[in-house]
Amino acid sequence: MTLILGFDTSAAHCAAALLDGDTLLESCAEEMSRGQAERLMGLLEELLARHAKTWADLDAIGVGIGPGNFTGIRISVSAARGLALALPHAPAIGISTFEAIAVDTNPSDTSGKIPAVPAPRDQLYVAQSGRTPVLLPRSEAEGLGPLALPAVAAQLAENIARAAAVKHATGGAWPAPAPLYIRAADAAPPRDPAPHILP
Amino acid sequence: MPASPLTLLGIESSCDDTAAAVVRVGPQGAEILSSVVEGQMDLHRDFGGVVPEIAARAHAEKLDICVRAALDQAALGLGNLDAVAVTAGPGLIGGVLSGVMCAKGIAAGASLPLIGVNHLAGHALTPRLTDDVAFPYLMLLVSGGHCQFLLVRGAQDFTRLGGTIDDAPGEAFDKTARLLGLPQPGGPSVEAAAKSGNPKAHRFPRPLLDRDGCDMSFSGLKTAILRARDARVADAGGLTVQDQADFAASFQAAITDVLTEKTRRALTLYLQEAPAAPLLAVAGGVAANGAIRTGLELLCAHMGVAFSAPPLRLCTDNAAMIAYAGAALMADGVRHDMTLAARPRWPLDQNRPAMLGSGKKGAKA
Repeated sequence: MTLILGFDTSAAHCAAALLDGDTLLESCAEEMSRGQAERLMGLLEELLARHAKTWADLDAIGVGIGPGNFTGIRISVSAARGLALALPHAPAIGISTFEAIAVDTNPSDTSGKIPAVPAPRDQLYVAQSGRTPVLLPRSEAEGLGPLALPAVAAQLAENIARAAAVKHATGGAWPAPAPLYIRAADAAPPRDPAPHILP
Repeated sequence: MPASPLTLLGIESSCDDTAAAVVRVGPQGAEILSSVVEGQMDLHRDFGGVVPEIAARAHAEKLDICVRAALDQAALGLGNLDAVAVTAGPGLIGGVLSGVMCAKGIAAGASLPLIGVNHLAGHALTPRLTDDVAFPYLMLLVSGGHCQFLLVRGAQDFTRLGGTIDDAPGEAFDKTARLLGLPQPGGPSVEAAAKSGNPKAHRFPRPLLDRDGCDMSFSGLKTAILRARDARVADAGGLTVQDQADFAASFQAAITDVLTEKTRRALTLYLQEAPAAPLLAVAGGVAANGAIRTGLELLCAHMGVAFSAPPLRLCTDNAAMIAYAGAALMADGVRHDMTLAARPRWPLDQNRPAMLGSGKKGAKA
């Protein structure tokens, strides 16, 4: 069977799921607003150990690439890229939270709905079908139609593992997982202009 | 040094260089098998300084690629390594976090020990990596982010004799370049402009030179240059190329005076230890500045102290120094686990013995 580990730290949690073929062995999550970098690897190793598995048993890694907390996304993506480098037979497959919402186990929850992810300051990241995801004020996003928000953390990790399983089953090579930020980095050119240089 | 050779992967991502290296350390000394450094200068150029979020984004997508390149250049696989060493601070936290998580992934997947290294220890131990310098020696670390004197007595035994109380000189060079309309990074462009300038054209302050001790300050110098430039621009409507050169030369003279005089005081303290072969080592990008280096070399000659500067590629941020420092820690029995934390601030001083991972649980050891 194909053993897939999914994990996510895109919001205030460490979440993971272990999928054996179609069977969910376990999903788990710990709520935390900080400390994911210190906790994530331990959470994953404990999950593997509870099912008598090791890193070497994995066939693929599904990692949540966001959107969400920038630092949180980087924590998982960096760990996944490091793991993939050390586990040549277990590629890391990036799964966006939008994709995770779309594979939600209960299709009626999302049919016809627009995947959306909570963002700071009462905004939402929104992925309308066929369009580049955008960041919108909540009121504007809700005006687009019914929205489908991410499941609770443990379910989100399971969805990420399942989405990775689908991609893995289709074969081929996947690009290394990269964070899905949507919002550009906050950076402004210096305010003081350079002096005029006289001839 | 270890009794039998240790081969370590080093990872560094604490500022704007993504770096990975493979270093072998044995009884005969250290050998750098590979050292890959990917800079980000182009990404930050428009902003007149390193933007933390931009740096973090670049590190997250470059680290594993640099590691792969370092392993390939060393013609080694992860199975040939004894451990993974990673910069766990101090630095820009987003980049440090990416490095630490990438290192954890590699260490977990390849069943290798993980060793968190203080970035400053990497710089401070570089004279041993390059020249096998004997303890104790005095280290002046002077870069875009740091400026301090460290008395190095052992791989985990550092005494900070003094340092900047505000900005680092590298920042002052960048800011000065911006004020004068010179390109970034400021270090090389200010030095080049200064060559045709008069260092006595402007009398800029030498902050804290009238105070005892080895502490330094550079933020007031930046303000002084801003005021003098504004006065000149108000008079003439801009700066001539000669104005740029005179400002650059006068600024560089002030920095050189401060660093040289404070180094003299640090050397005096160091010589009280009566080292058998007294030596001043420098590290950091600012140590590449010719005027500063000449000032320090003259001072050392005058005081009967040897002067050591690693080659530029090992003076600036790199991962070979992290792998080497990791090997030194490993030889001392230091190991970290998967709770290793990334620390934005992590002072390096023997007076806080819990700092370099000797016994306290996990990351903050």
